[in-house]
Amino acid sequence: MAGYQQRLKCFEDLLEADVIDLKALRNLCFISGCPHEKSIRSICWKIFLNYIPLEKRKWNDVLQKQRNLYKQYIEEIIILPGKKMKSKESANGELEDHPLNPNPDSEWRETFRDNEMLLQIDKDCRRLCPDLSFFQQATEYPCEVLINSSSSVENLRKRVEQCVLQSETVAKNRLGITLNVVSKKRTHSDEYSVLPDGKEAHWEVVERILFLYAKLNPGLNYVQGMNEILGPIYYTFATDPDQNYREHAEADSFFCFTCLMSEIRDFFIKTLDDSQFGIGSKMNQLMEMLKELDRPLWQRLQDQELRPQFYAFRWITLLLSQEFQLPDVLRIWDSLFADSHRFEFLIYICCAILISVRQDILKNDFPSNMKLVQRVESEIDLRQVLAKARELSST
Amino acid sequence: MAKKTYDLLFKLLLIGDSGVGKTCLLFRFSDDAFNTTFISTIGIDFKIKTVELGGKKIKLQIWDTAGQERFHTITTSYYRGSMGIMLVYDITNIKTFDNISKWLRNIDEHANEDVEKMILGNKCDMDDKRQVPTARGEAIAREHNIPFLETSAKANINVEKAFMNLAQAILNKTPGRVSEPNINIGTQDTSARRCC
Repeated sequence: MAGYQQRLKCFEDLLEADVIDLKALRNLCFISGCPHEKSIRSICWKIFLNYIPLEKRKWNDVLQKQRNLYKQYIEEIIILPGKKMKSKESANGELEDHPLNPNPDSEWRETFRDNEMLLQIDKDCRRLCPDLSFFQQATEYPCEVLINSSSSVENLRKRVEQCVLQSETVAKNRLGITLNVVSKKRTHSDEYSVLPDGKEAHWEVVERILFLYAKLNPGLNYVQGMNEILGPIYYTFATDPDQNYREHAEADSFFCFTCLMSEIRDFFIKTLDDSQFGIGSKMNQLMEMLKELDRPLWQRLQDQELRPQFYAFRWITLLLSQEFQLPDVLRIWDSLFADSHRFEFLIYICCAILISVRQDILKNDFPSNMKLVQRVESEIDLRQVLAKARELSST
Repeated sequence: MAKKTYDLLFKLLLIGDSGVGKTCLLFRFSDDAFNTTFISTIGIDFKIKTVELGGKKIKLQIWDTAGQERFHTITTSYYRGSMGIMLVYDITNIKTFDNISKWLRNIDEHANEDVEKMILGNKCDMDDKRQVPTARGEAIAREHNIPFLETSAKANINVEKAFMNLAQAILNKTPGRVSEPNINIGTQDTSARRCC
């Protein structure tokens, strides 16, 4: 335990300085990972992802400014359109704009497009880290303006219920079946429960962040898997020991996620698959590295036609977040974020994972190997893999 | 040399919109269990199950794909090698049914011409939320001459039957198959191949 206390002290010393020694902090975090205590992990991640500067005295201002900006985003992207939608509902008859308006400027067209995206985000956020109860629990800090049941805003939860309802009605009409139009609220009881009005689950916060991100990045939109990138960041901030950090977990996660996505978004863009920074070239890089470091293993994968698309696509796109339990994911990301050649280390880790199961791969047939690379967690010791990856990257 | 534990290997593929229950169907078939808490499939997943059909041990290699458009470039590369494709929609979500024709076009474009297909309307246990009547599923299947079943991974309805029927259809046109035990002679191998 003495060793751990000592390590904690090293972090504290580094974080106490007026200007953070980035190189030293990176190095410490890269090798040993960040402690969660005393907000060390959440501060380190904020620094590594360029959300807060190295000069400590600027932190408060920067955080204040960004958090206000986030409030503004919520206002512009969720609250204002939400109020409009609500008012349209009541003002039947004399609408200038309506759902069937063919005019390309019709706000409804955009609303429909958004709803489609929102439904996809909703589906994925409900099933985020299902083994962990955290995301299903209520947050201490819900977005007050939005959750109040008497509020005049159409919030995302209502919108999801609403658009499921709308499509139900349309389906019935199209078939010409006259059913009593019972306004049947969609019950989520069978799978994931929705908390009562006035409460918000953590997954709903994640959903809102992703919706805002997609609205602000229309070229990218929402792509499945982004929820898995945001999840660990939000979890880290929303479980921070410091009350102030927890309270602003939503805004801080949004910006850190945005910073992180700016470095890895190419993985999510289909048209960039074969470009220099797309997922295709990353998978090639992994195969080249393996060929260099362990030719027989590479040859085996070639012979079996066990392509990196079958496993490394997910490993790389999601920064290994679906391959391990959350605590291990956080540990891996400590090193990834601390890596000064950003995400080079990810490829080294992937390579180290393959090498650590080489005996099995050389012996097994294709189906067994497929299963193995799709579920590596049970077969490897993460600490050894990280040590191996460090060894590979330093030679 | 490892002992051969099966007679034939069939490669199957599951496609359809995101959230229709592809992973749950596969899990029900391979592990006979239901789990609502599946994370979304990113890229591609994979399961194996060995079944017995017509006196043969058949190893089914089943690929499970991600539904979202972004992943199509990597998922369509599996169409070519597949012998059977399961196209799944969700009976409680009309949009997933409307997209059936889009998925069928994908199959036409990327799969082998003689690939066996099957359309599944999943979540048929949730009748109170049904948006797609059984008749509409049957109609589109008939129009394309594809077998159709409504399934429920949750209530275990027709899941085994769906996979076994698809496997049987592939077996039926596999050269040298043991379909009628009395006419299975060594020489019919080539003629069987020629007939299709």
